Formats: sequence, structure tokens, C-alpha cells
Amino acid sequence: MSELLSKAATASEIARAVMSRHVKASDVVEAALARIEAAEPAVNAFTDIVADRARRRAAEIDAGHHLGPLVGVPFAVKNLFDIQGLPTRAGSKINLDGPIAARDGALVRKLEAAGAILVGGLNMGEYAYDFTGENAHYGPSRNPHDPTRMTGGSSGGSGAAVAAGEVPLALGSDTNGSIRVPSSLCGLFGLKPTYGRLSRAGSFPFVDSLDHLGPLARSTDDLALSFDAMQGWDPHDPACTDRVIEPTVPLLHDGIGGLRIAIAGDYFATGGESECFEAVATVAKALRATRTVVLPDAAAARAAAYVITAIEGAQLHLPRLRARPQDFDPDTRERFMAGALLPGSWYVKAQRFRRQYRLDVLKLFNDVDIILAPATPCGAPKIGQVMMTIGGVEMPVRANLGLFTQPISFIGLPVVAVPTRKAGAMPIGVQVIARPYNELAALRVAAYLEKQGVCVSTSA
Amino acid sequence: MADDKPDIARWVDEGAKAIGLPIAPEYRDKVILNVERSLAIAQPLLALELDDELAPLPVYRP
Repeated sequence: MSELLSKAATASEIARAVMSRHVKASDVVEAALARIEAAEPAVNAFTDIVADRARRRAAEIDAGHHLGPLVGVPFAVKNLFDIQGLPTRAGSKINLDGPIAARDGALVRKLEAAGAILVGGLNMGEYAYDFTGENAHYGPSRNPHDPTRMTGGSSGGSGAAVAAGEVPLALGSDTNGSIRVPSSLCGLFGLKPTYGRLSRAGSFPFVDSLDHLGPLARSTDDLALSFDAMQGWDPHDPACTDRVIEPTVPLLHDGIGGLRIAIAGDYFATGGESECFEAVATVAKALRATRTVVLPDAAAARAAAYVITAIEGAQLHLPRLRARPQDFDPDTRERFMAGALLPGSWYVKAQRFRRQYRLDVLKLFNDVDIILAPATPCGAPKIGQVMMTIGGVEMPVRANLGLFTQPISFIGLPVVAVPTRKAGAMPIGVQVIARPYNELAALRVAAYLEKQGVCVSTSA
Repeated sequence: MADDKPDIARWVDEGAKAIGLPIAPEYRDKVILNVERSLAIAQPLLALELDDELAPLPVYRP
């Protein structure tokens, strides 16, 4: 039982134990709150802790209510998710003066309907315009594997909270890589589902054309369990799909038989440290994947994702940039301002190109089921590091940690980020990419890699 | 041709005026730097030629 109350326990293990009454939800929650209190000085993952609410919920579960596949599992959410009774910070100071959330965001409600217990809101880069996990208002989230290093962002608190073992499960958002980058740098499994698969209702937006929500965890079982619990059409998110729910848990451990797996070449084979390509090679070898495919115009896809992000994000925040520029994080303010000045013709061209690129990449999926690519060009940089040198080229950290994630989310493909780690080194992830709505294939590959011991996530 | 390079400082100053976005002097240099970076990053997109028939995918679903 003590293992179920430790930082190593996964959501699936906790849920099984609570369901079978081997452990009380109240004890699980108390243990999580104690771990949070102990770890926070080092990792700074949480901005809000809802202890009273969590204790009430746990007591209700112990009284026999809210039984479901995630019963008793403590979880936390990036603070752009609405939490009833709190302002939705979205990493900002400005939003503290905004409305108090009247109810929880859609995915919080879905996880709690499955029995999970919200314990708090998590640190993030301001307004999600971030790949580092740094935040001028609330301090940087710190990488549990080395607190002098970045978590990656913008779901930095989500990465830190799960990697530190404060909670087994966290939700993040991913517009250009903000689930996959912290998953890579913190050594976690992260799922960025297909664009439109999960409802974004009740979350603070960044770039509507590209915003996704999804889970981060230390096991593929936990990704699948939470993903299944969160699926389903929601009329309050216009992009949300009305496809039927496609459960992944029953088939998660079916292995990789029948899946055609290739490695992304060209753009995805240059521009990173050797460690990121070694990680892809390790995963590819375990999957016996030797074929290489080229995503045509991936550099243009990255450029187009950047342009859409800059312009949509800036337009969203223009009233605040006019009225309260001094209250923005200095690391987002001038980037938002610059985005407000970029030509509309760039934006429309980026959206037109998205259509072409989508068609070109979907053609590749006639011959393959899974494409492997690096998740980040390097392991976690030092907190405060502004520039990095990759392949002899000096480049800004902020703009480039998402080099390999942007061309994928640009067209909404589902991705599982899987962790690798060499002895003595920081973790680094690999993207397991599938065709639209085939999260199951990516999850099956991730589960196979986990079972083989090739991709293992451990709490720090 | 150096003459073809845009004057980004002017772009920022005049663009900000046109959209009614005051940019305080202490922010101006970083805004200019970020427009320069954006111009560089956007190049692979700007260099593409697209077919006239290629329209954006609508998000709106009636």
C-alpha cells in the first residue's frame, strides 16, 4: 500500500487500488498534498492548490460516489484551464483581474466524472507563448531531474508536477509543441491528440487554429485512460469533432504488429544536437524501423505555424497590449507586439499552405502508419539560457525548442511523445506521429516501447 | 540589393501608429528585433508559390 501513496504510483495503479478498496482516496489525496508541499520549493510547478476541494471529493469517493476508471487519481491542470472559483491565470498577471471561473473547464469535468480528483492549477509560460517554462510573474517551473534546468514549456508546471511525482497525471495545452517539449525535457509520456479531438471549452485560448489540449503522465496506460475519459463531442468548442468515441485502453497493449513505421528524414534529420537523433535511432531500432520518409516543405510548415501563431496570438491580446503593456511578461510582450504588426497576407498564405501541406503529408500515410521524429533539438537547457548552439549555429532558445514539433501540430496530427534517457544525461523525447484520429496507433507504439524498456519514465 | 531590404524600424513605428498600438521607447528595440526574426523565420513560407485554387480550409461548420 505504501507504494500506492508514493511518487512512483501511476494513475492506473491508484485507480485499481481505490476501486478495489485497497487504499482510500483520502489517503491518496493526503499523500499527494504532502508530496506537493515537499517538492514545490524545488520545482515551482503549482500556482494554485485546491486542497479543501480535493479532500471533499476524496471523502465523497470513500463514501462510494464518483466511481469510474480514474477513481481517486489526483491530477492537476495547466492554469489556462478554468477551475471553478479561481481566475484563469493563463500564466499572466493581467488575468488575475479578470473573471472568476463559474465552473471547471470541460476536460476537468470529464476527468472528475471518471473519478479523478483535481488538486490544483499549474505554472506555465505567459499566455502559452513559450517553449521554456519560464515565467516572470510566478518564477520558472524547474526540471525535477535537475532544478537548474528548464522544464520546457509552455506546459512547464505540468511537466514538473508529473516528473517530480507530485501527481501522476496533468493536463497541458499544445499549440506548437507545449505538451511535447516539456514531455521531452522532463522525461514523460505526453499525448497531443488530433486537432479537434478533445474539447477546449473552458480553457483560455492562445491560437484557435492550432490549440490542442492533452495529458502528460509517466505511463502509457495513464495516457490512454485519461484520453478515453476526455473524448467526446462538445458543442462549446466549434473545432471539436463529432466522431464517436474511439476507446484506446482495450487495444493499447496489442503490440506493433501490422503497423508500418518510418523515420522522418530531411528537415527532421538536421538542426538538432546528436542526442536527439540518437534518441530517434534508439526508438527506431527497437521498432525495427528502417524506412525514411520526407515530409515535403516541413520548413515552410514550421514558418507557417510561426506566422499563424504570431498573428492570431497578437490579435487576441491587442486590447491588453494597448492598455496594460507594463503588466506583460517581458519575454512575451514584445513578441506579441511584433505579431500585431505582421502583414495579413502572410497569415492568409500560411492558412492556404496548411491545406496543401495537409494533403501532401496525408499521402505519406497511404504507405506508413507511424512516423518517428525528434521531439526537441536538445535536452533541457539551463534556466535563463537565451541562446543555444546547435550544429555550430547559434540560435535563440525560445524560438527553436519547437523546431521539430511545429510542423506536426500545424496540421493537427496526433503525437505521443515518448521518453528516452542515457545514463548520466538529461531525458530527451521522440515524437511518435500517426494519421489524424489514429491516436491508438501512436499509443500502441508507445506502450510497446515502454514494455520493452526502451522508453521508461521515472519520477525524479 | 540592399535597397530592397525593408526598413523594419519604420515598419514598426508606422505600423504601430496605423493600428493604434502605443509602443513605449523601452520596448521598441525588442519589437524591432522580433519583427526582424519573424521576417527571417517566415522566409520558407514567403518563398513558396501556391496555386490560385488553393483556398484556406474553413474552420466554420454551419
